[in-house]
Amino acid sequence: MTDIACASGVELLMDFLEDVLPADVKAALEKHVSGCGRCAAFVASYQATPRIVRNATDVTLTADIERSLQAFLRARTNAFKT
Amino acid sequence: MVVPAVEPSDETLAARAAVGDDSAFETIVQRYQARVFRLACRLTSDTDAPDVLQDTFLQVYRHLGSFRGDSQFSTWLYRIATNAALMHRRASNRRPSESLALEDYLPEFDADGVHKATPAELQIASRADELLDRQFLAGKARDVVARLPDLYREAFVLRDLEDMSTARVAQALGIEPAAVRQRVHRARLMLRGYLSELVGVKS
Repeated sequence: MTDIACASGVELLMDFLEDVLPADVKAALEKHVSGCGRCAAFVASYQATPRIVRNATDVTLTADIERSLQAFLRARTNAFKT
Repeated sequence: MVVPAVEPSDETLAARAAVGDDSAFETIVQRYQARVFRLACRLTSDTDAPDVLQDTFLQVYRHLGSFRGDSQFSTWLYRIATNAALMHRRASNRRPSESLALEDYLPEFDADGVHKATPAELQIASRADELLDRQFLAGKARDVVARLPDLYREAFVLRDLEDMSTARVAQALGIEPAAVRQRVHRARLMLRGYLSELVGVKS
């Protein structure tokens, strides 16, 4: 495997993190990222993105919505049986 | 010595509920209602999520007899919830009109394929939660997830926000794992670029 440039490295990132790349491609990408400050920074932000969006979009089920669900299911599943 | 009670598995509860055990169905609802609600909020909106929640568990109740155990029960349930959310999005007039375009958020490279941005600029998105007001970020994050193309949003939400494995997302969506990885990758690129722009840097 020849050297990898930043652009092609970005395209391989998901497969790299999921460990599904061929061994030679994985080794070439690891070598590139370890010597490229820009790619190391890009990988850090790429990996942080899910955590940031996950925390920012977290919600809690309120007691009102839970009660509505129970009432809905009670009415509909009883109707379902008759 | 007190032996802790062993909670019945989802599959055991589903089998009991399928033959009319309402308490088993209620336990399933209790176990998953918060997760399905959160999923529904992320796939639709806070406004539509209660309806998606109700539709999901009604569909689960009606189709328990067809659950064959080919996948985990939770994967089957997530598939139903995802489909219910998609139906609501299609029926809703509150759909965001402007979808994100991938090319607007891709990193830029020079002729040699080297990142144009500096390391500090490329890393800034990872500090979005430190640099931005929490409420502001929450609003923007919900909006931008809603503006992802449907295919990317479903895969990203299940894989990255609900923390399912790629294999389980593939089962839930009925696609190949490679397709899940591709869709999640594109969503991450878009969201990473969006977070970067939110803190004032295009990278």
